[in-house]
Amino acid sequence: MSGGGTWRWLREHAVQIVAVLVVLYMLIPIAVIFGFSFNDPAGRYNFTWVGFTLEHWSNAFGIPELNEALVTSLKLAVLATLISTVIGTLMALALVRYDFFGRRAANFLIVIPMATPEVVMGSALLSFFLLIGSFSLGFQTLLIAHVMFCISFVVVVVRSRLIGFDRNLEEAAKDLGANSFETFRLVTLPLIMPGIFGAAMLAFALSIDDFVISNFNSGTTVTFPLYIFGAAQRGIPVEVNVIAMILFFFTCATMGFATWQQRRAEKLTSVRPEQEGGVGAGVPAGAPAAT
Amino acid sequence: MLAVLIAIAALTLGLVACGGGDSINGGDTESEEVKLEGKASGDLTISNWPLYIDKQTVPDFEKETGVSVKYIEDVNANEEFFAKMDPLLKQGESGGRSLFVVTDWMANKMHELGYLQNFDKSALPNFEKNLVANLREPAYDPKREFSAPWQSGMTGIIVRKDLAPDVKSICDLFDPQYKGKVEMLNELRDTVPLVMKCLGIDPTNASEEDWLKAIDKIESAANSGQIRRFTGNDYGGDLTSGNAVAVIGWSGDAVQLQADNPNIEWRMPTEGCILWSDNMVIPVGAPNPTAAEAFMNYVYDPKNQAQIEAYVNYVSPVENVKPILLKEEPEVAKNQLIFPDQSFTKNCTIQPSPTGEEEQNLNRAFNAVLNG
Amino acid sequence: MRRRVAPYFLLGPGAAWLLLFFVIPLYYLAKLSLNAGVFGSYEFSWHWENYSDALQLYDTQFVRSFVYAGLATLFALLLAYPLAYTIAFKAGRWRNVFLFAVVAPFFTTYLIRTLAWETILSDQSPVVSVLDFLGLAPEGHVLATGGAVVAGLTYNFLPFMVLPIYASLERIDARLIEAGKDLYASATQTFLRVTLPLSAPGVVAGTLLTFIPASGDYVNAQFLGSASNQMIGNVIQSLYLKQSDYPAAAALSFVLMAAILVLVLIYIRFAGSEALMGEEAV
Repeated sequence: MSGGGTWRWLREHAVQIVAVLVVLYMLIPIAVIFGFSFNDPAGRYNFTWVGFTLEHWSNAFGIPELNEALVTSLKLAVLATLISTVIGTLMALALVRYDFFGRRAANFLIVIPMATPEVVMGSALLSFFLLIGSFSLGFQTLLIAHVMFCISFVVVVVRSRLIGFDRNLEEAAKDLGANSFETFRLVTLPLIMPGIFGAAMLAFALSIDDFVISNFNSGTTVTFPLYIFGAAQRGIPVEVNVIAMILFFFTCATMGFATWQQRRAEKLTSVRPEQEGGVGAGVPAGAPAAT
Repeated sequence: MLAVLIAIAALTLGLVACGGGDSINGGDTESEEVKLEGKASGDLTISNWPLYIDKQTVPDFEKETGVSVKYIEDVNANEEFFAKMDPLLKQGESGGRSLFVVTDWMANKMHELGYLQNFDKSALPNFEKNLVANLREPAYDPKREFSAPWQSGMTGIIVRKDLAPDVKSICDLFDPQYKGKVEMLNELRDTVPLVMKCLGIDPTNASEEDWLKAIDKIESAANSGQIRRFTGNDYGGDLTSGNAVAVIGWSGDAVQLQADNPNIEWRMPTEGCILWSDNMVIPVGAPNPTAAEAFMNYVYDPKNQAQIEAYVNYVSPVENVKPILLKEEPEVAKNQLIFPDQSFTKNCTIQPSPTGEEEQNLNRAFNAVLNG
Repeated sequence: MRRRVAPYFLLGPGAAWLLLFFVIPLYYLAKLSLNAGVFGSYEFSWHWENYSDALQLYDTQFVRSFVYAGLATLFALLLAYPLAYTIAFKAGRWRNVFLFAVVAPFFTTYLIRTLAWETILSDQSPVVSVLDFLGLAPEGHVLATGGAVVAGLTYNFLPFMVLPIYASLERIDARLIEAGKDLYASATQTFLRVTLPLSAPGVVAGTLLTFIPASGDYVNAQFLGSASNQMIGNVIQSLYLKQSDYPAAAALSFVLMAAILVLVLIYIRFAGSEALMGEEAV
């Protein structure tokens, strides 16, 4: 390839090159976490490289408190994701599809939680729980809190997908004899699925990451971030790196599996030709092209 | 936009309707005494600071007594723990905890708010017998009715002796050659009294102006970039990696950190140190106080305490631990930071603690420095 | 009739949840913000001074927060758009790999990632030597500077930017772009006149999802900043958790929320309100 050709190639692929660099940037800390999961620190702090060991991988689940915290966080995140995604999607549908009295108020209600600092939400919620008195602090109050702060994000993401949605597709389905529910299930839902899936992932990430609000409302329940924040002060055990990586790989595997399933399903039915398939939801880049 | 205004207006009107004189905090200072019920059994939930107990003590205690212990490490800072517990304790609940550990001044504050129960000393013979003499009559709890020391410690200087060999006093921390490499604790009652000592002020009898003078000095050092940042226990990481070379820190940490890097060393400031204790307390609404007292009594057995001490490396509040450790872990027993003698701590001051309005003003001034 | 009831059914569960567990608690917070007194004897008394104090004492941190959050949002946008564009149009069978790479790091927990940056940017690290050589580390260190805080914010909120932009790019009708190419011929023109406007809702959503949490964040400033890089979130945190000054903290929280709302409203005035407030203008 001549010098001019290289230059042209670079220019034509500039966007992709930037994208790859950004991906690398996103993965740098992960590489560090991975690398230091094999470290053999002399004392409490896993900050400087000392030596290679597999000890912490073979002993990944050797800290009972950490395991318990992890299981709690996973249960919490899955439940909070399910609940917030369902009710958030319904809200997004109402807000985009209907004009009704109170719509602006509802929009406002959804925006405010996102503009509220976590410290505020956490403490306000705690005073409320105590005032009502019928909640015992623990898993159930954590779940309530997590669903609460996930809803807004779900609505915003799903709504951005719903806006500009081609309503003709639904009309077409109805013309073909589908009832409202069938239209929703067979046309609307699949088309907004990438939005819903993205929202669910966001909700899951928010939930499994949350420290501040959980710290207020956890009672004596310890979640994964609560454990880490406690440990961070006095040196995080290497097992935390190991478990973070296990979570990472597990997430990758789940997403991979979901995509694979999706593609298989599409191949079997092959309703829509030539599509790439977003994560867990095979919707062609130009949806109407498929019809 | 109108809807927004209506919402705000409604909220404000709601305030009028429900306003009135509900106060946020209150509580009497008359403490109840715990009610013991026979032999210790059942469940026991304990909140303590991270890495503040060895791995064996809790299982051993469970085996000996049959009590099932839930031991959680959720106390990371006195104020944070207080903020989390305050709404509960105000309602006479402890969130299931029967025992937790807080520093002297916090134990005092909680006691004044009526959040703590007095001990029934009949179940604490080891505590009565083995508590060291100099901790028996602290000003805030002269009869040790509601607080039992868990560990004591000193606040002073921790350095990287390879990178900051000449730092020997608090005043040295302000030496410009260490610019950007010095860290101080984000604790009002540790950092400010030490800086007062550098200014030649005795923290014990310091006035509000004295405190503010020291805070001013800290502020100008923070603004000039002399102080890299204010930390909790996490100065340990910065010392290990060399981001910081001299910090204000805690004695037990210094001992433990030598495992990370043998160049990390405690220096008793030439001006002296600050002495403090963390205390076991029984909160109001504590379930199963009988088991809580059984645990307190257990750790005041010198044999059991020696096991904790060998791991934790702070100063033990229990008598007769040193002879046991001299046999088992002579290095620990001979360490001045773990078993300090009188001459070692001669310039040290018991941690002073402002209260009431003065506390609020100083807190505000100090936190204004922390938050730039 | 059915059409009139339907939106309320759809809205019901979520709205109830938010009313009960967000609005009502917030109401108590509003009351708290008008309390006066010292700790132990706070009393409700229409104490509006809490608000003027909040503005006077912490104006520096307010400005700093919005500058940091604004910079982080800008950098995140500059990084996220090419990435989202590539994923949507250029990645082909690599699309899912890219998406994994965006999302997966965010299942390793905020704090662990931030602490990893602490390792990467520590004073002895080669990264810092290079930055120092390039004159990008005037203080000789990167940690404990505003730059590190902005970098941390950018990193931590990047997926909040990438995902909505990707979602809106991905649903663009390919025929529109084809038509654009026919009309304008140049790729740049097509991008500016067709693709970019069509992805605007995603950009607006992404900038808001990044800017809002970033302005209230405190973790990055706490771990990566110095005393002179603390944000308003750190102040609120400290008022609540360290000083037990609940009225001041509550007042400051409301000021922050109001400031964010004002900025957001100004922003969507210019950028269009679809992403945030539905299709109607506010």
